Amino acid sequence: MPTADTLSAPTPTRQKAIVEAHGISKQFGELEVLTNIDFSLAPSEVVCVIGPSGSGKSTLLRCLAFLEPYDHGSVYIDGQLLGYEDRSGKRVRTSEKRVDEVRAPVGMVFQHFHLWPHRTALENVTEALRLVNGLSRRDADVDGMAMLEQVGLADRAGHFPESLSGGQKQRVAIARALAMKPRVMFFDEPTSALDPELVGEVLDVMKKLAADGMTMVIVTHEMGFAAKVADRVIFMDQGRVVESGPPSTLFRQPKSERLQQFLNTWRERHID
Amino acid sequence: MLDIALLWEARGLILQGLWNTLWICLLGCLVALSLGLVLAALRLANPRLFSYPVACYVEICRGVPLLILLFLLYYGGPSIGLTLSASIAGVVGIGLYGAGYFAEIYRGGFKSIPKGQLEAARMIGISPWHALIRIQIPQMARLIVPPSTNQLIILVKESALISIISVDDLTKNATTIVNQTFQVIEPYLAVALLYWLMIELVARGGYALEKRLANR
Repeated sequence: MPTADTLSAPTPTRQKAIVEAHGISKQFGELEVLTNIDFSLAPSEVVCVIGPSGSGKSTLLRCLAFLEPYDHGSVYIDGQLLGYEDRSGKRVRTSEKRVDEVRAPVGMVFQHFHLWPHRTALENVTEALRLVNGLSRRDADVDGMAMLEQVGLADRAGHFPESLSGGQKQRVAIARALAMKPRVMFFDEPTSALDPELVGEVLDVMKKLAADGMTMVIVTHEMGFAAKVADRVIFMDQGRVVESGPPSTLFRQPKSERLQQFLNTWRERHID
Repeated sequence: MLDIALLWEARGLILQGLWNTLWICLLGCLVALSLGLVLAALRLANPRLFSYPVACYVEICRGVPLLILLFLLYYGGPSIGLTLSASIAGVVGIGLYGAGYFAEIYRGGFKSIPKGQLEAARMIGISPWHALIRIQIPQMARLIVPPSTNQLIILVKESALISIISVDDLTKNATTIVNQTFQVIEPYLAVALLYWLMIELVARGGYALEKRLANR
């Protein structure tokens, strides 16, 4: 069985990794949800994280984004330590502002979209362009429309989230993240809250992104998508990385019993 | 038959009462609204430090009658070196009392905004401060207007209690007219109508605000 250590090996030059994590652990109270995880993401790489519910895959993504502070280990974005700093040998939390600076290259898409309901689709996309990048309303609107066009929703610009379908909401959420020109996109179960017939439109947008060379980490239950799009698949269970590798090997020749089991259950459920 | 002439003769007392009720309610409600916001903000900003004291305060406001609070302020105040005029004791009483309720209304408003919306904001670099102003407060405003309107109405009505600590408000002046003329119905009906008008104004204002916020 591959150990966690072998996971960072595929990255030849460490400098080049956009996201890198060493030995991160996370506890919620007594429960250890992540145990000593190493992770590394090269530019243009698409990594899918799979695993049963409660395996820690979403927590891993949230720790990599510092939405959950990790307890031990370190996460580097573009070589910069995220969330903590050394102050005379002691590790302390950095300011929120510093967190923002370090994770600026990261865009995130959530399972439940988290659009702002009091803003139109376009305003959801332009909010940060205006507040963070200081664009004028007109410039922000031009950029925002371009983003909505990219996800095929230019005609919904003036709609409020409540009048959009789940798939449309998620595409607006993707446009909102893309507007800030991220170099990495994190997707936390982006299609899990969608009706089955709406999953495709979101996955299509993501496929296009991957094809355009976007670096992506995707926590997902969509095995078919993972098999087609991922460069590497990580299988997690009980807070540990059990197995990882290219989808062809991982899905066809799973080494660990736990992954074989997981894939069998999935096949049984999806065969008919 | 109602004796309207009697009311006309007593118009000075009625207008004085109306004026006193109006400004005391207005100031008291302003204190309640702003102190409530401060309490809610403290509690949200640092739950570990402020949750318990603020919760205690809220429980006291909910558990103690306004009249007792007014008695404590006006009659009990001097013994701890706090001498307030009756009117100011009224403002302070209504303000402190209402603040406990508004703190809860605001807190409820904040809590009902899903945490994920803030995470989404933080992930695209929107600062906590901007998130508060542009994302939390606009949505919260919508949610808190109906219960706040309701609470303001209750405060205006309960302000009649300040008559008992000798403020010349609508209620006390109505009683004065009753005592002078031995006519009970006319003065009380007249002030009832005036209270109702004030409350109707608050209700309409709240409704207009609610509609305005709903559109954006």
